[in-house]
This record gives sequence, C-alpha cells and structure tokens, in this order.
Amino acid sequence: MQIISKSLTFSYNEKANFSRRALDGATLTVNEGDFFGIIGETGSGKSTFIQHLNGLIPLQSGTLTVGEFNLTVPKKRKEKKAFLKSLKQLRSKVGMVFQYPEYQLFAETVREDVAFGVKNFFPNASQEEVDFKVKKAIELVGLDYNLVAEKSPFDLSGGQKRRVAIAGVLASEPETLVLDEPVAGLDPVSKKRLMSLLHTLHDTGVVKTVIIVSHDMNDVMENCNRVAVFENGKVVKECEPKSLFENYDDYALSRLGLPVTAYLTKTLKGVGVNVESSYKIEDFTNKLIEKYFENR
Amino acid sequence: MLQDVTFGQYYETQSFVHKMDARIKLLALILYVVLIFVVKNFYGFLVVGAFLIVATIFSRVPLGAMLSSVKGILFLILFTVLLNVFFYQAPNETILFWVVSVESLTFAGFMALRLITLVLGSMLLTLTTTPVALTDAIESLLSPLKVIKFPVHELALVMSIALRFIPTLMAEADRIIMAQKARGADFDSGSLVARAKAMIPVLIPLLISAFRRAEELGDAMDSRSYSSSAVRTKYKKYRLTYRDLIGSIICVISLAGVILLNVYAGGIV
Ligand SMILES: Nc1ncnc2c1ncn2[C@@H]1O[C@H](COP(=O)(O)OP(=O)(O)OP(=O)(O)O)[C@@H](O)[C@H]1O
Ligand SMILES: [Mg+2]
Repeated sequence: MQIISKSLTFSYNEKANFSRRALDGATLTVNEGDFFGIIGETGSGKSTFIQHLNGLIPLQSGTLTVGEFNLTVPKKRKEKKAFLKSLKQLRSKVGMVFQYPEYQLFAETVREDVAFGVKNFFPNASQEEVDFKVKKAIELVGLDYNLVAEKSPFDLSGGQKRRVAIAGVLASEPETLVLDEPVAGLDPVSKKRLMSLLHTLHDTGVVKTVIIVSHDMNDVMENCNRVAVFENGKVVKECEPKSLFENYDDYALSRLGLPVTAYLTKTLKGVGVNVESSYKIEDFTNKLIEKYFENR
Repeated sequence: MLQDVTFGQYYETQSFVHKMDARIKLLALILYVVLIFVVKNFYGFLVVGAFLIVATIFSRVPLGAMLSSVKGILFLILFTVLLNVFFYQAPNETILFWVVSVESLTFAGFMALRLITLVLGSMLLTLTTTPVALTDAIESLLSPLKVIKFPVHELALVMSIALRFIPTLMAEADRIIMAQKARGADFDSGSLVARAKAMIPVLIPLLISAFRRAEELGDAMDSRSYSSSAVRTKYKKYRLTYRDLIGSIICVISLAGVILLNVYAGGIV
C-alpha cells in the first residue's frame, strides 16, 4: 500500500486561538516495501502524523490516501457513517504500535491479549484460526509460546511485554506496520534485538512496509531506506538516509544531533584526515582501519 | 477527545469575583444554597436572579460557559418537572385537565427554577476558582476540626492529588482508547452491554497505570521525607480584601431580601 499525504494540517484544539498547529502542511509519500524512518524533535508532530494513517485522528485539512483508502471524512451524514465503519478494515491493514505499547496490555493471559485484535478484526474466525494466528504472532516476536501463552502479561519483563504488545498488533496480519518510538526505554541489547526483529519481519515479507518514528539519528540512519524529517509540523526533508548524512550542516538536522559517523567524519576532516563518509558504524570503522594501515 | 471534558471548568480571566478569597466564595455558595431553599415565592427568585446576574457580570465569565451547565442537567430538570406536574397534590386544586392543575404547574416551575439557579451558582464558583484554591479553602475552613483530631490536612491532600491527576488520567485514557481502537476495538456501536464490555480493555490498563502513578508518587513523597504531621507554612497566603467584604455584604443583603419577601409576600409552598 502506498501512503500519500498532501498538506496535512491538524490542530488539537480547533477552536482555541492559542493553539499551535501540531501538523502544518505535512506532505509525504511512503511506498510499498519501504522501511521508512520519521525523525524530528520532540513536539514536531511525528506522533500526530502517524495517528492519521489509520484514521485514529480525523483529517482536518489536506489529503491522505492509504492504498485505496481515502481518509477525507465525508460531509454527508450517511456517507460519514459508512466511512467510520470502513475504518476498521483500514486498521486491520495498518497495524499501529504506540509508544510504550506495554501499557495497553489488559487481558488475563498473553494468549488472550494477543487474540484481542484478531477477534475484533475477524469476528467470524473459528477458535482454531484465532489460536493459529496468535501462536504465529507470539513466535514471530521471538517469544516461546509454550512458556508465555498462559502467563499474565503483567508478570513479564519490560522487553517481553513490549514484544507481546507488538505480537498483539502482528496477529491480525497487517500489511503495514507503524511503530512510534519502538525502542524508547529499552536497554541497548533489547534495542538491537527489536530492530533486527523488525528487519526480519520486513525482509521475510510478513509485513510489507514498516514505518518507524524515532528521535535517534543513528537508528534511522542504520535501518531505513527512506527518511522524513519533521519540524514544526512540516516535513522539511524527505530523502535517503545517505543524502541526509551529506547535509549535516543543515539547521534542522544539526538540531537533531549528528549521527555518530557523521560527527566523526566531520571532526577528522577538521584535523586533516579525510575518511569517506559512510553511515553504518561498522563500515565506517572498517574504512578508518584501512586508512590507518594505508598511512603506515 | 476525553480531555475536553474538563473538570472544575476554571475560566481563566481577571475579575472581581476571580480575585475574591476562595473561602469567602465557598461560604457564599453555602449561603446561596440556603437562600435557594428558603425561597418561598417567585419574588424571592427575583432576588436570587439579580444576585446571579450581578455576580456573573462581575466575574466576566461568558454567558455560554454558564448556560452549558444547565444543558448538562436538562434531563434532570425535565424529569423533575414532569414528576411534579403529574404527582403534585394540593388541598383544593384548580384542575386544568386530567391531573394537571395550576398548582402543580406552578410548583413544577418552582422546582425547575430551584435546580437551575442551584447549578448556575455552583458553576460560577468552579468557573472563577481554581481547584487548588478551592482545596485550600476547604482545608482552611475545616481547620477548626483539627481540635477533634479530624485529619483535615490529609483530606485536603487527597483532594488536591485527585484533582491534580484527573487531566493526567484523561490523557492516559485517550491514549489507551486510541491504542485499542488501533487493534479494532469498537466503542461506538452495539448494545449498551456490548459497549460497557468494550470499556474493559481501557479500564484495566487505566487502573493499573493509576496504581503505578500512586505508588510512584508515594515513593517520591517518602523520599522527600514528607509527613502530614509536620507543621508547614503555605506557599500561598490568602488575605481578605475589600472585595471579600463587598461580596459578603451583597450575599447577606440577598439573604435578608429573600427572608423579608418570604414574610411579606407569603409562600406558594
Ligand atoms: N492530546 C493532545 N492534546 C493537545 N495537544 C497535543 C496532544 N498531543 C500532542 N499535542 C501537541 O501537538 C504537537 C505535536 O505533538 P506530537 O505528539 O505529534 O509530537 P512528536 O513529534 O510525536 O513528539 P515526541 O517526539 O515528543 O513524541 C505538540 O506541540 C504537542 O504539544
Ligand atoms: Mg511522539
């Protein structure tokens, strides 16, 4: 599914005149198959934007299409009703993982919690079908089904809870997965694992498109094939991570902090060492080592 | 959004009524409620109405904000009126038709006026007084009870914490509702039972988060050695001004007016 947003504008308090716009003409295209990164300072409108993608926030102005789906809210009452009904179908296709998703767990067992979405989206599915999907999703996120299925989700560790929450979204087999700061608050190891999990899901075609929101330049640089930079509700840049990297003198980017590799390239250049830029830390290190031995 | 359901509905502005001491305003409200219940005839309500109008003008609160409170209890008013019209019985009624009499209509109108003025008056207090000031006022007014070991300070603390967390929990509820909607939860259709059931996935996480916050807050207070028995000074000192004097005088005059009217104009009750 291709996602096209044009001049999306949104303000949380339409009536109050003091309200700043959370989105102020965000224009952006996400193609099917992308591993898309959204970065921006805090308050730049990232979360507000992604909540539009499955109709959790109704469009105020601008246009947004997600696949076949046009998210403009119809004016006529009857059409509006039909539109609101059809949102459910959209939501089954665009899975949304909120920030700190572990806080939305509620059921008595992990199995039931993961089944929640499946039962909502496929009310006619048989018990076997539901169980199958649930098991698959729990295993997809790298948890041992036999070990966790009958446990209370509240007895799990933070990282495990987050996996269960992600499984709860994956279980209804969305085509597009949207994650709002999925690694926030995780330790480096869990962080790495979660990112590689997302890559596996993407590479094996379990989900076709992944959109992740992040504060961290490095995350985005290393993982995404396209990136959008949000600032004050606008998309100020939409490009490949590499070209983001080349423009690190840009004001908006400099405020987000340089990725480690960009910082090193820049600093080394300052003392007369020219290393070819590269945005994966591993590649960069290799190049640096090569350079070192060259000079010897 | 849930957050729009503001609690306390404080209306931010500078006005005579806003600047009055919350304790005086609270006492005035109590007096006002008494006033409404001693009114025996429609002339009395003229006084009450005049009082309300004067207070509203000096509070600079928009009329819409005041009237919205009545909208909220419209159903209750309607219900009261209907009950009274059909079931009120006076000794010698002037029947208009069926059980509807002049007396029952008058009485129903009277009750409706009572309800409306009651809501408008309390609305004016919450519109012009921040919840924090209100809690402080309650603490201050109840402080004589400390003599009989009534935990006044604790009560006020509990109230202010509860008020403080309402917006936080509202925001949290909004977030959880969104998250469950994203998982296909449907809150707006189905039978009443189905809708109530649909709230479970929202209420449980909300409750858990409330407990978590309470624990965190408790820990934070403990780690700062908070103790309710400590003697402490107030960050904000409330002092009575000429405004409070004028306000009190107007209240007393209104009460006197109503009582006089009760005596001289007789009652319909
Ligand atoms: N529920 C809300 N009610 C009112 N204003 C809101 C709400 N949520 C966000 N905002 C405002 O909208 C703007 C954009 O917020 P948003 O959450 O989209 O930013 P963000 O880029 O996701 O930030 P962060 O990186 O901190 O998550 C901010 O100015 C914020 O204050
Ligand atoms: Mg956000």
